[in-house]
Amino acid sequence: MKAPGRTPRQALAIAGCLALLAAPALLGGYFVYLLSLIGIFSLVAIGLNLLTGYSGQISLGHSAFFAVGAYGSALLVSRVGLPFWLAIPVAGGLAALIGAVVALPALRLKNLYLAIATLGAGIVTTRLIFEWRSVTGGGAGLEVPAPQLGPWTLAAGWQMYYLILLGVAGGAWSATNLVRSRTGRALAMLRESEVAAGCLGIPVARYKVIAFGLSGFYVAIAGGLYAFLVHYINPESFNVNLSIMFLAMIVIGGLGTIAGSILGAIFYVAIPEIFRGIKDAPGLVFGLSLVVAMVLMPQGLAGLWRRLLRRD
Amino acid sequence: MIAELIIGGLASGCLYALIAIAVVLVLQATDIPNFAQGEMAMFSTFFAFWLLRDHGLSWWLAGILGLGFAAFLGVVVQQVIIRPLLGAPTLNAVIATLGVNIALHSLAGLLWGNETNVFPSPLEGLRGFRLAGVNVAAESAVTIVVSVAMIAGFTLVLRYTRAGIALRAASQNQTVARLMGIPIHRAFAMAWAMGSVAGGVAGLLVAPVVFLDVNMMGPLLIKGFAGAVLGGLGSLGAVFVGSLLLGVTENLMGAYVSGSFGEALSFLLIIVVLIVAPQGIFGRVKKRKV
Repeated sequence: MKAPGRTPRQALAIAGCLALLAAPALLGGYFVYLLSLIGIFSLVAIGLNLLTGYSGQISLGHSAFFAVGAYGSALLVSRVGLPFWLAIPVAGGLAALIGAVVALPALRLKNLYLAIATLGAGIVTTRLIFEWRSVTGGGAGLEVPAPQLGPWTLAAGWQMYYLILLGVAGGAWSATNLVRSRTGRALAMLRESEVAAGCLGIPVARYKVIAFGLSGFYVAIAGGLYAFLVHYINPESFNVNLSIMFLAMIVIGGLGTIAGSILGAIFYVAIPEIFRGIKDAPGLVFGLSLVVAMVLMPQGLAGLWRRLLRRD
Repeated sequence: MIAELIIGGLASGCLYALIAIAVVLVLQATDIPNFAQGEMAMFSTFFAFWLLRDHGLSWWLAGILGLGFAAFLGVVVQQVIIRPLLGAPTLNAVIATLGVNIALHSLAGLLWGNETNVFPSPLEGLRGFRLAGVNVAAESAVTIVVSVAMIAGFTLVLRYTRAGIALRAASQNQTVARLMGIPIHRAFAMAWAMGSVAGGVAGLLVAPVVFLDVNMMGPLLIKGFAGAVLGGLGSLGAVFVGSLLLGVTENLMGAYVSGSFGEALSFLLIIVVLIVAPQGIFGRVKKRKV
């Protein structure tokens, strides 16, 4: 067995980065848009992976964080007048707070109970957005203004693309460092055994709150970027199905890895494009992939990739 | 007025109870919350509808074959997908059932289309009646009677038949049950089949009332889970009462507090219950040795 050499690997990474940077010049607008979506969902997947993959806490309500990020940052710009680069983190902070509150039932709940509680929290949140018409526009949806950066308007697709690329790079970098830190190790211990974690002196409750808060923050940042990318949001698009799809992304990509999060996001965006025109085919592929991933390759695409690397 | 609301709530509560019991049967046997329960029921109902419309079978024959298909589907899901995952973290099996959920939903859309269909009712001629001065709709009465009969039947099967006792033994302790010579996978398959049939009955009861389409069971599944959690996932009786409570609360809240918030309000209620009494209203704390 030969470990992949350091230099070729670095060369590959540099080539990949250059390709990503050059993409808007080489590819059509639609492909750049798809790449932007992949970036956004990568951030979502990284956020959910911190909670589910690393800390072992299931959530069926993450579309709510996405919605809070999207609506929060859009409203902070159009109603409060904050610049968008401030609005997105503020909405992220709000989602982190909500995440911490959602974590309170999670302190006492496991598996099915936790799934139901997060599912309920997700449904309540989207319902609130739907009913709070005077602010959110209700079912009619909400127009999102183009983001302003000083004198420039970031209306073009490639401008948002670079912004999202920056966000993903930052998100992936900080998540990679986070999981190697003291906090990351505590979260992993939480997943393995809460009792053992408690015995080792890890404050289980505090780290659960941290995991939910962090996860909510990431997903809300992605939601904010999403709002400014698509310019129009409505509560219907943040339903329970989206939460399940988020979970599908990280499971198919690979639980507990950053690379897996990104692979899952690519899968999530690519499959509907491949099966365009057949309405139900992507769902069937997602569903079967979830089952196959769980039964045959619990490490997901990232695990498959690692196995292939090891073989040569 | 309030009595009619309660009767309506009891009827929808019975539907929730059927799903809740399906979930709890599987959960107690295999420790896995089956998120595919709703779509499995939807798929079986569509199967019955397909026999009814495209093959001209009578309602009762199509319904019985639909339930038979439901039992078959339950066994297949257990043996092919869940069996290899027993022993792995519960999260894996939960995700697999979510996958089955999405896959069946899309497959039904591919096979039978996404439009809504009118599912005929065998009770066309039946009229509502007055009971102690309260108007009772025929559908409500039938739903309540059928659900109570199903649940009573399941309880008797679990308590007195050989297979039922084997299932309860396997739920309590897999290792010991296996050592006693109980074929635990057959017992688990039975749990899945029973759950799936309960779901199928709910599907057949609800389809004539709300029209048949692929999204029919989604809300019902969520309510069923909620009812199960409210009841505490313990005995079938507790789950039944929890689901009835949910149905009635929802109906009353929908009428007196806010129509559009009915669903969200019942979820708020559940979250509050979970925070105050994490094991449900009637559940006992299941102690786990480390």
